[in-house]
Amino acid sequence: MREVSYFAPTEVGEAVKLLAQHGEKAAVLAGGTDLVAQLNYYEIKPSALVYLGGLDLDYVREEGGKLVIGAGTTIAHLLTDDLIAQKFSVLAEAAATHGSPAIRTKATIGGNLGTASPAGDMIPALMVMDADLVLASSKGQRTVPIQEFFTGPGETVRTAEELILEIHVPLLKGKAVFKKLGRRKAQVCSIVSTAVRLEMDGGVCKDARIVLGSMAPTPLRCSKAEAMLKGKAVDAALVAECAAQAVAESTPIDDQRATAWYRAKAGTALVARALAEVAGI
Amino acid sequence: MKQILSFILNGSPVDVIVTPTETLLDVLREKLGVTGPKRGCDDGDCGTCTVLLDGEPVRSCLTIALTVAGREVLTVEGLSTDGDLHPLQKAFHEHGAFQCGFCTPGMLMSAKALLDHNPTPSRTEIREYMSGNLCRCGSYEEIIEAIQVVAAGEYAPSGGKE
Ligand SMILES: Cc1cc2nc3c(=O)[nH]c(=O)nc-3n(C[C@H](O)[C@H](O)[C@H](O)COP(=O)(O)OP(=O)(O)OC[C@H]3O[C@@H](n4cnc5c(N)ncnc54)[C@H](O)[C@@H]3O)c2cc1C
Ligand code: FES
Ligand code: FES
Repeated sequence: MREVSYFAPTEVGEAVKLLAQHGEKAAVLAGGTDLVAQLNYYEIKPSALVYLGGLDLDYVREEGGKLVIGAGTTIAHLLTDDLIAQKFSVLAEAAATHGSPAIRTKATIGGNLGTASPAGDMIPALMVMDADLVLASSKGQRTVPIQEFFTGPGETVRTAEELILEIHVPLLKGKAVFKKLGRRKAQVCSIVSTAVRLEMDGGVCKDARIVLGSMAPTPLRCSKAEAMLKGKAVDAALVAECAAQAVAESTPIDDQRATAWYRAKAGTALVARALAEVAGI
Repeated sequence: MKQILSFILNGSPVDVIVTPTETLLDVLREKLGVTGPKRGCDDGDCGTCTVLLDGEPVRSCLTIALTVAGREVLTVEGLSTDGDLHPLQKAFHEHGAFQCGFCTPGMLMSAKALLDHNPTPSRTEIREYMSGNLCRCGSYEEIIEAIQVVAAGEYAPSGGKE
């Protein structure tokens, strides 16, 4: 029988040392809502489990004009946290669509980033705020802008020796919303999702972010669509044009959840709704 | 690498030898003979393995057993006290909130967590909170009804646990 070791470090230093020792053979275990299903079905066969639950990474703080979110913060915590509700409500909106209560009590934001699914629901909200991810290894820490973190489905720039430690979220101005379309309201992977943020000055858009989920190999920032809005008066016609452009930048696929054709149609409608809502039209 | 796991199960301390990849569901069912929590999918989707960990609902199939060291686990076996059914159990029974019963252990644990957090939930709140528990027999209406009558105080706790 395969021998697997289990470690439950209580300090980050200890955790990264274990990752340095075990490298690719170690699996980092946070809430386990992705990882344990993979273990149960023998999709992964790590030789060591490094459980992060003892590291006290479940926190949300405001520091120097930023929100600092520990990687071990559960989705349930995001949903009830006052700072998140007041300063980063788009993340709370996304958290409300995540799984169901018994998933949210364990699933973490760090695990959502670690899984790196194009459908990961916390990711678009973090992307519209230009979040930075702090990665730690036995050699030190580095900060990666979320925009540069994902390289493909399930793939990121994180090395096997690194831990996602925390997420730094600048409190950018403007209004943001998250919208998700799934086969039902609860416990679904999105067919398409979007987060948008607009900073408006009167009716004119000063800054824009548009992110699509489940429409490309990674969550996708639609920069051409964003550029269409900047400096313009936002009206219904521009919103429609911009939503079509956002989807034109994506590369949706056919899968068991929906066809590419449907994703493009629904995605355009979803982005248009989100933009209209934040622009107040 | 086998290890001894100690935790509180339904109010009593237990020690059990487990391996690192065994889940709480594996250990409950196969090592401790606690077969209330069912294995419907082993994937987190169905909810019938739901137990309370320190009072919060979790999927026992997605919980590595060793991570519950020192913590309190409540399964459906721990709901009744001295043979006296929990109000939710009585309500499920009397309102026919099941057919085959396979989903019931998970439904009861989720319902208990809901009422512990929110003693008077609206119908929408009940539907939302119970959204991760699937019933292949389609007893959803009766399940909602049973939770509503307990919330309305119809089966006031008779010395049962909580
Ligand atoms: C029924 C069900 C419904 C779901 N619904 C949704 C949904 O609606 N939206 C959604 O986005 N997801 C959903 N998920 C997927 C899952 O819940 C999320 O991806 C969750 O955020 C994963 O977090 P976790 O803590 O459970 O991660 P784990 O399963 O513990 O880990 C996930 C991955 O990330 C790595 N990892 C975890 N933490 C770190 C860290 N700090 N540093 C480095 N690597 C790390 C792990 O090694 C693993 O590869 C659902 C899952 C289930 C079972
Ligand atoms: S067996 Fe755990 S959710 Fe189905
Ligand atoms: S009663 Fe049969 S699954 Fe719910």
